[in-house]
Amino acid sequence: MASGAAGRLATTTTRAAAVNAGKTVRFTSRALGRGGGTALPGRVAGRIDPGLAASLARGLPNGCVLVTGTNGKTTTTRIMAGAARAAGFAVITNPEGSNMLSGITTALLVHANGLGVMTAPASAIGIFEVDEGALPSAIRALSPRLVVITNLFRDQLDRYFEVDFIARLWQQALSALPPSTTVVLNADDPQVAHLGEDIQAKVIYFGLDDRQWARPTLEHAADSRRCPNCNHDLLYELSFYAHLGHYACKECGWRRPDPRFAAWRVQLQGVEGSQSQVTTPAGDRLLQLPLPGLYNAYNALAAAAAASCLGVDPDLVQLAAQSTACAFGRFERVSVADRQAVLLLVKNPSGFNESLRLVLGGEGLRHLLLGLNDNGPDGRDVSWIWDVEFEACAGRLKYLAVAGQRANDLALRLKYAGVGDTSGGPETVPGEPVEDMVLAFFAALEQTPPADTLYVLASYTAMWALRRELVKRGYLAPFYAPGRDCRSVTT
Amino acid sequence: MKLVLGYLYPSVMSQYGDRGNVLTIMRRCQWRGIDVEVDNLEVGDRVDPRRVDLFLMGGGADTHQRLVCDDLLNVKGDDIRRAVDDGAAAFAVCAGYQLWGHYYRTATGHELPGLGVFDAHTVHRAAQTGTRLDTITKAGSVRAVGNLIVQWGSQVLVGFENHGGRTYLHSGAQPLGRILAGGGNNSEDGFEGCVYNNALGTYLHGPAFPKNPALADYLIEAALSRRYGSVALEQLDDARETSAQQRALQQATAKSARWRQLWSDGVG
Repeated sequence: MASGAAGRLATTTTRAAAVNAGKTVRFTSRALGRGGGTALPGRVAGRIDPGLAASLARGLPNGCVLVTGTNGKTTTTRIMAGAARAAGFAVITNPEGSNMLSGITTALLVHANGLGVMTAPASAIGIFEVDEGALPSAIRALSPRLVVITNLFRDQLDRYFEVDFIARLWQQALSALPPSTTVVLNADDPQVAHLGEDIQAKVIYFGLDDRQWARPTLEHAADSRRCPNCNHDLLYELSFYAHLGHYACKECGWRRPDPRFAAWRVQLQGVEGSQSQVTTPAGDRLLQLPLPGLYNAYNALAAAAAASCLGVDPDLVQLAAQSTACAFGRFERVSVADRQAVLLLVKNPSGFNESLRLVLGGEGLRHLLLGLNDNGPDGRDVSWIWDVEFEACAGRLKYLAVAGQRANDLALRLKYAGVGDTSGGPETVPGEPVEDMVLAFFAALEQTPPADTLYVLASYTAMWALRRELVKRGYLAPFYAPGRDCRSVTT
Repeated sequence: MKLVLGYLYPSVMSQYGDRGNVLTIMRRCQWRGIDVEVDNLEVGDRVDPRRVDLFLMGGGADTHQRLVCDDLLNVKGDDIRRAVDDGAAAFAVCAGYQLWGHYYRTATGHELPGLGVFDAHTVHRAAQTGTRLDTITKAGSVRAVGNLIVQWGSQVLVGFENHGGRTYLHSGAQPLGRILAGGGNNSEDGFEGCVYNNALGTYLHGPAFPKNPALADYLIEAALSRRYGSVALEQLDDARETSAQQRALQQATAKSARWRQLWSDGVG
């Protein structure tokens, strides 16, 4: 007995030490102005007590939710968190960019007391965005009640190696979930939908049921053309973008599951947003979204399906979606004096294609600045730009500039895409590659008349460098600030 | 003049921007007034060894290799070997390169028989060390991932490698070049790629052709010379290509330390 008590005491002491160390690191990091201190505190605390995240998560009265996927996890997490808040939950969530277990641990330890015990209110719930590769460890540590997977695209192969590998990791992780848990999956993504087969957790699908957005053929950026069940060809009846669509296997008969949450009559309102009719078990609802593009309609749909699993009414999802401020570089608007710019983060071919489609939609010529770096968070391998359909830019631009550490690669890609080829008539020629993203941005802004908008499509650290400067100059709010609103700060 | 490009398994073996190689061949021919026809050679399609001037095969995962290996060997194999022996040009990258050797033993120990154009074999590092790839960290520990710089004759080639397989050339087989940075064939002997006749096998992704136009032109010239006798290609303005190659070289050799500092400050 005595030894047991001593053991428990030791654990408690370690736990308290871990929490206090984490808080100290966080405080120091902030006081020194060293950014948000979002991952390091959790990493330090986790080093001291590897069981900390699990222990703190157990202290959440309403458990926790994990959201992952290649694209859309940040936006989906935000809409969901907003809806849960509106429904009366006290939501604990992680800031974007801190989606490894260390970032989640930081978010949790802020709510622990000096003894290392969770002090969250009875209404507390954790809603966390998780990196694709970190899902298995997050599931083991946090025992979530609900896991949401948005999609699986080719992304940063230098970090994830192969798309199939991530699918296998997820499958193993989900198969460990008990029957009391729920998994929300995208029915339109074959590899994601197939994760719902043969698992104990309850499965809820969401998907798009609107023929008008179907495209005639699969794009090159499509990663999953094979049946995840038997490896034969999938036949697509409808294809929305990349490999998302309505499909069936002609060999084994496996097909897209029918979604419980289905969006139909989707109206895309250009860069302003979208509106869709959504079928839910609670009846049909109208989902109005201030974020543009089909991919954001998917995110809102995923959030609606997930929120309903928490007993949150779809009307509250609508409310949350309507007031969802954009995430870091997700269609962020910036005003500098009388000039306007919009920032779009691009991470992989499918996301880049969707962003280009959005920017080039409608009439008129566009002002475009492209930024590419090759640091870890961007992907050190820049080969993916060859899978982006830059050909669509030919003849559609009034101004084009390339910037970043690998601006030369962008310039080369555009040359082979025929953008800036004047032999066929008048065409915008891209300027000389500039490494400095900030210089390139202000130069581009100067070339953009007040009535027009400069669209900035940049990879993670290129966007980060630009945002950092815009924050410093007061044009944008820092993205880790509490209660921040990313809408423009006009000077 | 006309060049027929045989693109092997475009819907299965095309990751890492491999399509950029096809585009580069098309454009560089087009700019010189040479017609290009692309034959997409999927599973089940037969190869006409007299028709194809240049074969391209790209990268893919173990699962993709398993899908095409039988077809490569039994439907297309004889005709591809016949064409290559006759002087047809070929460029096989990564997973494609591995399947053009004698065999590839996958991470799980399966042996996939290859074309045998290259006198070489490949073994996945996980199969060598008995590592089970059940986490990202373990999967990363057995792979060669990073910039790959190769001395190829008097030229320097730049690209990116990302592979778990280790390729061993048999005695007498000729490597493509010597490694200046990266792992190359097996991270052991300092060599990269393999050459047989006008067929080149390599781990250079990037894709390789846009930033190494000399490599693309070498293969175009070899392919056309087989059909039209000795062909000398017109020089193109490669200012963009050269500056992208130089930039990639700089990035590979000295990543900006200043930036790394900024990044770690900001994210903590």
